[in-house]
Amino acid sequence: MSALSFFKDALYADAYALKKGFLQSRDPRINVAAILLLIIAVLFVRDTAVLVWLYTFCLLLAACSKINLLFFIKRTWFFIPLFSLFIAVPAVFNFVTPGHPVFMFTLLHHPVTITREGLSGATLFVMRVATSVSLVILLSLTTKHTELLKVLRILKIPQLFVMTLGMCYRYIYLFVEIIEHTHLAIKSRAGTNIKHKKGREIATWSITNLWIRSYHLNNQVYSAMLSRGYRGEPQVLHEFKTTLRDWAWITAAAAISTLSFAVY
Amino acid sequence: MSNTIFALRNVHYAHAGKFPALCGIDLTVTAGEKIAVIGANGTGKSTLLSLLDGLIFPDAGRIEAFGRELTEDALQDEKYAQFFRKKIGFVFQNPDVQLFCPTVKEDIVFGPLQLGVSMEETLKRLTVLAELLEITDLLDRAPHQLSIGEKRKAAIAAVWAIDPDIILLDEPTAGLDPLTTRHIVDLITLASSQGKTIITATHDLHIISEISDTVYLFDKSRKIISSGRPETVLADDEFLKKNNLLHIHRHEHKDTVHSHPHLHPDTP
Repeated sequence: MSALSFFKDALYADAYALKKGFLQSRDPRINVAAILLLIIAVLFVRDTAVLVWLYTFCLLLAACSKINLLFFIKRTWFFIPLFSLFIAVPAVFNFVTPGHPVFMFTLLHHPVTITREGLSGATLFVMRVATSVSLVILLSLTTKHTELLKVLRILKIPQLFVMTLGMCYRYIYLFVEIIEHTHLAIKSRAGTNIKHKKGREIATWSITNLWIRSYHLNNQVYSAMLSRGYRGEPQVLHEFKTTLRDWAWITAAAAISTLSFAVY
Repeated sequence: MSNTIFALRNVHYAHAGKFPALCGIDLTVTAGEKIAVIGANGTGKSTLLSLLDGLIFPDAGRIEAFGRELTEDALQDEKYAQFFRKKIGFVFQNPDVQLFCPTVKEDIVFGPLQLGVSMEETLKRLTVLAELLEITDLLDRAPHQLSIGEKRKAAIAAVWAIDPDIILLDEPTAGLDPLTTRHIVDLITLASSQGKTIITATHDLHIISEISDTVYLFDKSRKIISSGRPETVLADDEFLKKNNLLHIHRHEHKDTVHSHPHLHPDTP
């Protein structure tokens, strides 16, 4: 149930996107372009100090967008170890990155050295991952998913693909509810002390049940689309407005990105 | 010129070809009619509406819509399909099926935009309907954030936005609170007063006299077993009871509990 709760929290985190903060008030297309520029800078800069500045700028953007910084940091640093730990940790040792020794110890009768170059490389890598992930999470927190989908359309991603993606997102909510209700129904009848074998059986039934339901829903939704005139080429509403502030924001992002390269 | 919209002759349909849903339906619908289709669960009401909307096709028998046989091939004809979809709107029983777009606004404009209505006219319809249905503040919300009543209103708006002449409604008031039910019944009667043809499948006997001039009763044989004016069909308690449609109220009077059918003796 905790995995489901995490999934639900991630899906239902619309509250920040509805706040009247800095990024929420900008045109989503401009936000996507600006964040993309910053991520490009993060990917190519090879100076940890510049990355620290970019990360600080990201935190500043989060604060200006009325995001609780503790929540934001917890959320981003949850993913970062997953991405970077297994790659960054071996890099600090001399057998991966030779260089000036900083610290030495013995492991299983073998001398192991942590090198300055290794530490520097690992820090650069972790900072790069941390800043990139933070920027992406910032964008997803401050932009409604419906607007992100519209931005995809503007980026010339095929309409059919964007619509399918939108419908997947739309129905995930329904399926999360079904899973939750199924879980509660099982719990109310069988309690929580279910043996592993029975648990696996129940999980299999639930997956099958969900698949059958999704199959029926798929047919019904397609009928509902046909009924309203769908002929294979979806026509949709486009409505974005760019203001002077949006242009100022993208200019600032471009300037920061360029400056980062210049410093490096 | 004939004003017949639908003509069904001995229509049979079975789900997956083996579970009978309709067994010999004869029905004629003319322009401007208000029809209620009633019957217990599993008697084929929703299947009938799906057939009328050209979403499924009979295994046997014939359906004519606007003077042309309604078949899968007929709906492959771009011109006829466009005409047919503009003429007929279908409010599904489950609003979650109908609201497939990321926001309510996109769902409402989906139909008109597919059917070639201009953006300006579509947005005009959106504004008018949002005010009429009192859902203006819901337009930018995702369907999963709505209550069942709000979803139902959004689904109705999505169909009304097409401005169809014939509206099919499948259980439009199921699971709704009394005030939302009232609002939806008012919308149906308003549409009817504007000359639209209304065909409603429902269990809700309270609303039938308002939303229909003719009632068709389906039974477990999955056929129409009775039809007539609402007051005539609804007056036959034994008949309704036999078909699982009578509202039985059970309540206490001092120390005794008694049951009786739910009646409206003042209904004309």
